Amino acid sequence: MKIGFVSPYAWDVPGGVQSHIRDLALHYRQLGHEVSVLAPASDDSEITDDFVVTAGRPVAIPYNGAVARVLFGPVAASRVRQWIGSGDFDVLHLHEPAIPSLSLLACSIAEGALVGTFHAAAPRQKVAFAIAPLLEPVIEKLRARIAVSEVARETLRIHLETDAVVIPNGISVASFAGVSPNPEWQKPLNIGFIGRFSEPRKGLDVLLEALPNIARVHPNFRLLIAGPGEGLEAMQKINPALRNRLVFLGRINDAEKASFLKSLDLYVAPNTGGESFGIILAEALASGVPIIASDIPAFRYLLEEGKYGQLFENENSEDLARKVIALLKDQKTRDEMSVSGVNYAQRFDWSQVGDEIMNVYLHALIPGEKVGLSSESRLWNRIFSREDE
Amino acid sequence: MNNTYIWLPLTLLLVIWYLTFSANRLDRLHHRAETSWANLDAILQRRAALALDIAHTGAVDPATGLLITAAAHQAREAEISERSEAESSLTQALLLLIEETDLNRRYPELFRELETITERLKIAISLHIEAVNAARSRRERLIYRIFRLAGHAPLPVKYAFEDDSLMEITR
Repeated sequence: MKIGFVSPYAWDVPGGVQSHIRDLALHYRQLGHEVSVLAPASDDSEITDDFVVTAGRPVAIPYNGAVARVLFGPVAASRVRQWIGSGDFDVLHLHEPAIPSLSLLACSIAEGALVGTFHAAAPRQKVAFAIAPLLEPVIEKLRARIAVSEVARETLRIHLETDAVVIPNGISVASFAGVSPNPEWQKPLNIGFIGRFSEPRKGLDVLLEALPNIARVHPNFRLLIAGPGEGLEAMQKINPALRNRLVFLGRINDAEKASFLKSLDLYVAPNTGGESFGIILAEALASGVPIIASDIPAFRYLLEEGKYGQLFENENSEDLARKVIALLKDQKTRDEMSVSGVNYAQRFDWSQVGDEIMNVYLHALIPGEKVGLSSESRLWNRIFSREDE
Repeated sequence: MNNTYIWLPLTLLLVIWYLTFSANRLDRLHHRAETSWANLDAILQRRAALALDIAHTGAVDPATGLLITAAAHQAREAEISERSEAESSLTQALLLLIEETDLNRRYPELFRELETITERLKIAISLHIEAVNAARSRRERLIYRIFRLAGHAPLPVKYAFEDDSLMEITR
């Protein structure tokens, strides 16, 4: 099968959607399918993946509380037409087709077996209702919609009045299960946090406020913080006596992340909102780390209402401190959580998730039919064919 | 006065463009509903064939076997409007099998296939319902009715669906 993926975000910038597409494309290629990814890129020379076709430089726009690097406009549209026209794809898998970027362009230009995956979760917004009538004629061309979580599905249902099949994000379980802990980060008691901690919605402040209480009962713990950002500012917020317990590791790569998680006794996810899936929780589960997470909808769903990790009341540092203290005392519960977490994490392995997505492709397909250009864009091509040379 | 000569054809052109655009949209939605139906139909056919296979293993007691065989035949021959009812009774009949653990142990591959088909069926049904609803709600719009943009395309048939009983098969 020949599958085309479209990324709305710049390929040379790290992000959840991009790594989802890369992993899925590599997984399918390994299974013998042909894959091609169309994505924006700030710098073409940075792109090392041979299956990626670049469509131009993205522009930065504010979207859903963060800055998104997206791409649109007539030149991009002509690149999309060219890619689809010459791609001979059986299936086109568009990611985040509801945001103004390449996927939306591809959805309006293409015709055939179109599948869309919706990643984002957003609260009910008036502006979304304003743009829904514009999106509807394009989005309705998708033969199948996938949402990465119940939260993303709900967002889709509210804003675009359309339902979706829920298939979670994937991880490579083997790459987390098989590693050994980093000796530098060894015990006594390690609590871990990963994320862009300068963003308030990642909730590091909630965790920092819980530290004095935790230190009173467990004097010998350390808090390992990984992720891009300036550690000094966070340091200033806490009691000087506790500063030596914080270790800032900076940005870490995937291999480092796996051994980082293995070195932990407890992973804390204090995110205050804006989360759609929580891939880090799936990775922590696969590593066998016990989890304490805020009770935001995405985490409650992923941890099955607390079955595979403890939940604390969102933004409540005292509740978090209580849960952390109790769990650090209780080695037996931690061991049990570790075992059940590793088992449950299989559900997120690419072997499972990839099969489920392939199943949706098969539902969208008509045997013998290829993805082509829609009648409008064929006309456009004829008129402006010189531009496409 | 002169403006009329520009605006009138321009408005007319815009109206024509909008109507073509709308008709095109509806045509696509019909096409989507047909695709999802073809898919759903194929999976339902496979399920009926599998149900007959299971009924004919000889390990099923005659009463259950008769029930399943009858339900499977009815499901295969049903008209499109009666289809969902016929398929529901097949689901009910297949549920009888799930309780027979002995059968499950002797023919694990048949039951694994039943589980796979049921999983696929769930997705196919939800995609089809989605496609049918989209096409139907568009057809109901005033402008589509006034200009008869649906043409001679038949109204996509809704498939009433028994989600809960399917869940039990895959459990």
